[in-house]
Amino acid sequence: MSDLNVVVAVPALITSGVAVACLGIGMVPKRAVRRHGPSALALAGIVAALAMSIALWGERQEGFGGGLRADRFAMLLNVVFLVAALATIGLGWRGAEAVDRRGEYAALILISVTGMMLVAAAGDLITIFLGIELFSVGLYVLCALEVWRERSLESGLKYLIVGSIGSAILLYGLTFLFGAVGSTDLGEIGRNLSESSLTDRPLVIAATVLIVIGLGYKASAAPFHMWTPDVYEGAPTTITTFMATATKAAALAAFLRIFSGVMADLLPDWQTALAVLAVASIVVGNLAALVQKSLKRMLAYSSIAQAGYLLIGVTAGSIQGAEATLYYLLAYMAMTLAAFAVVIIRENEVPDGDRIASFAGYGRARPGVGAVMAIAMLSLAGFPPLSGFIGKFLLFGSAVEAHMTWLAIVGAVGSMISLGYYLRVIAVMWMSEPEPAILRRTLAPSGPVGLTTVTSAVAVVALAVAASPVLDACRGAAEALLVP
Amino acid sequence: MPWMTAIVLLPLAGALSLLAVPAGNLLQARIHALLAAAGTAALVIGALVVFDRGDGGLQLVDDFGWAEKAGLSWSLGVDGLSIWLLALTAGIFLLAVAAACWRLPDRGAGYLGLILAAETGLLGLFAAGDLVLFYVFWEAMLIPFYFLIGIWGGPDRRAATLKFVIYTMVGSLLMLVAIVATAFAAQDVTGQLTFSIAELRGVSFSDTQSTWLFLGFAIAFAIKLPMWPFHAWLPDAYRAAPLGVTVLLAAVMSKAGAYGFMRIGVPVFPEGASHLALPIALLAIVGIVYGSLLAWRQTTMRLIVGYASLAHLGFILLGIMAFDLQASQGAVLQMVSHGLVVAAIFVIVGALSRGAEGETIDEVSGLSARASGLAGVFLIVSMAFLAIPGSSNFVGEFFILAGVFRHDPLLAGLAMLGVVYAAVYTLRLYQGTMWGPLRARAAERSRLTVRDAIVLGPVVAAMLFIALWPAGIAGATEAALARAVAPAQLAAGRPPEEIAAPVSQNPPASHLPLPGDPIGALPPGVEVTP
Repeated sequence: MSDLNVVVAVPALITSGVAVACLGIGMVPKRAVRRHGPSALALAGIVAALAMSIALWGERQEGFGGGLRADRFAMLLNVVFLVAALATIGLGWRGAEAVDRRGEYAALILISVTGMMLVAAAGDLITIFLGIELFSVGLYVLCALEVWRERSLESGLKYLIVGSIGSAILLYGLTFLFGAVGSTDLGEIGRNLSESSLTDRPLVIAATVLIVIGLGYKASAAPFHMWTPDVYEGAPTTITTFMATATKAAALAAFLRIFSGVMADLLPDWQTALAVLAVASIVVGNLAALVQKSLKRMLAYSSIAQAGYLLIGVTAGSIQGAEATLYYLLAYMAMTLAAFAVVIIRENEVPDGDRIASFAGYGRARPGVGAVMAIAMLSLAGFPPLSGFIGKFLLFGSAVEAHMTWLAIVGAVGSMISLGYYLRVIAVMWMSEPEPAILRRTLAPSGPVGLTTVTSAVAVVALAVAASPVLDACRGAAEALLVP
Repeated sequence: MPWMTAIVLLPLAGALSLLAVPAGNLLQARIHALLAAAGTAALVIGALVVFDRGDGGLQLVDDFGWAEKAGLSWSLGVDGLSIWLLALTAGIFLLAVAAACWRLPDRGAGYLGLILAAETGLLGLFAAGDLVLFYVFWEAMLIPFYFLIGIWGGPDRRAATLKFVIYTMVGSLLMLVAIVATAFAAQDVTGQLTFSIAELRGVSFSDTQSTWLFLGFAIAFAIKLPMWPFHAWLPDAYRAAPLGVTVLLAAVMSKAGAYGFMRIGVPVFPEGASHLALPIALLAIVGIVYGSLLAWRQTTMRLIVGYASLAHLGFILLGIMAFDLQASQGAVLQMVSHGLVVAAIFVIVGALSRGAEGETIDEVSGLSARASGLAGVFLIVSMAFLAIPGSSNFVGEFFILAGVFRHDPLLAGLAMLGVVYAAVYTLRLYQGTMWGPLRARAAERSRLTVRDAIVLGPVVAAMLFIALWPAGIAGATEAALARAVAPAQLAAGRPPEEIAAPVSQNPPASHLPLPGDPIGALPPGVEVTP
């Protein structure tokens, strides 16, 4: 057992500390401070945590008696969470109506990020659960933050109820695992389970099933996805963005930590369960997305399908699979941010800006924003040479290598179906006449919102062009996962 | 000098530079686009000059890393097969850009940029030496065409683009899986993971593997070609696209599928190709007959040409699947010649539609009285289109039919039907519009404009050049094609005197000598070629 070693917790300490400070600044009587103070402070805190995460990049360090690990895997995911939070705060900059709740807004996002970082860095079952609860509770409140809007409250309530069920099932599964092995330490569990199989460990079977279900809820993988469209649609769009990117990454991190990291030797046993989850998500998400009228709901179903693709890499169970999942998480974050950013821009202009129909001719009126959306949609659909393609290519490749070619074919067929809705958005934006209401021809909105939007689209392309160093980092993170 | 990289990326650079042009400054946009297209054409001519006609391997190879860990590399090169398609692409796109610059549609800078982006896609496709890179360009090319048809197209453009993209993507995603499966299947044999087409060529897959993998690729190629019965996207897309884009689709993009068969399908999976050769050849003949009959009965002029193309592409596919050196040379000649002829005939159809103020053949007749220049050029182009002896299409079709006849006289006989039908639909189009009583809403507008002449002049000159000196192209393809078809000839059990190139075969990893083995300890029947 290693000693305290506080340094591994520094990124989480920074974000949680800044969260408290944000709450305080949000109560300053001066309006200007109340309006921009929390966001600015949060941005500074996130940048500091990012720097600290990058500084910790390297061999694994353990702290808090093995409860926390700072390894390449955790640090790579820290970057994902923190960048998602950075973008969320950037995109929420214009939300003027929320001035009085700025402090809570920034603080809750930071608290959620702290929880996510704990999940990624967990060396212990307790830490995993603690992290998941921490970010879930933060998000329950964030979903309902626009209290004057009924849909927002509904969204928060739904997420609270379903999310609690998911957490409960997950906790139940974790206790079974503890019961079977007698330890909560991930390294200890890994040693205990190595070279065994599920057939002689009934308790571990129950644990596996419950953990898959519990994490399936958090990752919104079918058939545990029912909450996703309603919650995504009702929540404030910046929060939806945050959930679609960071929460998904956190759930996938837990999947990778527990299954690829700890239960590697039981691969043949849990592989089928995860494959079923992946296939169901790809089928349900893609088919349901075809008929949506609201862009937020469409993106919600699309995120279910994307969770399916991400799970392909976990299912493969290899280093290549984990590497592909991590790369695709990065690409997925960039393209989802870009897509939601455009929705946010439109929502700032018209009240029902999330309807697909309200984007008619938008690309012609605002070529810059239209191009961002086109890049995001094409990348989500897996068109080369964008990063979504490279990610899918790696994921399908890992499935074929693991002798699961059929899974790759399901993914490919799912991508075909997805064209039906991704291309519809582009067609509406570029190939129909603009509404007369959009008269002002501008390239892109200015300020933090525009900056975030354009940066996300650039990231989608950059992740593909500079794939080599990114893949090196992902490979390092995937290998760190398998260090006993 | 990274010659191929420059050729492939110059149009894209031109497209990106158009972004920097201030909105509304269309003169500057024209200059950027023309410079990029002309520069690319000049570079391709340079490549033609330095190209060694006797060498069958890849030349002017550029091989840089991209994401090697994932098997992705930026690897380009040309051989006797692809150099002609590069030349066709660069030439037709230069003319298309020039014609577009002459009279720009609205949002002209975007139009030019997308055409240039499409050019990069096609050039990269024809130059790719790596399966993944091939796939990247295969798909990337779809994006500009999607926008070109969807934004500047006719009334049914949205349905047409959706159909076009979904058809193509269905094939290409299966191809993606096939690419990955090929690489891993090859890894099981040779022990190393590679996506390089040249390295995969010699790998001996099992019969079942080869057949399935070939099928995975063949569906994608067949849809792009299009081969009957995968052609349903073609009439919609050809009709909905702006005319300039239809020219690009028919003249250049349709060659991508045929090129895929020649570059990947037949050489990498010879066993699979030989198993499926007969069914594919029969489908090609169905396509020839079906396309010809539809072309005969169509009244919309663009569709007459579109369905006739379907028949011509059937000939090309037939030539490829014959696994015969002469037929393959004929297929390459026909690809280039068809590209030129179809571009010319679409420009003429454009002129006819101007005069008719409509798209159908019923609305116009007797135009030769008013537009004699058009009538003259149209006659030359029609003769080439129906492959009259002495025209560029004739050489290609003759090579193909002669090669097919050598192995399967029945197939060749059936394909002859297409030659007969070609006369019927072409003459119907020519006579119906040019002869008879003058009937057109605006006959004067049919006269050839400078814009038409910009395209028709060079294209007709190139057609005549090929007709007079087909050996100029055919001779340079020989070395590359002999190597490409040899494995399939071997697999199909052709007599050894027909096989013009040695077949290299990587032995399975288990058969390779280990350090310490005595020299010459290879099992009998296995030869290692460097």
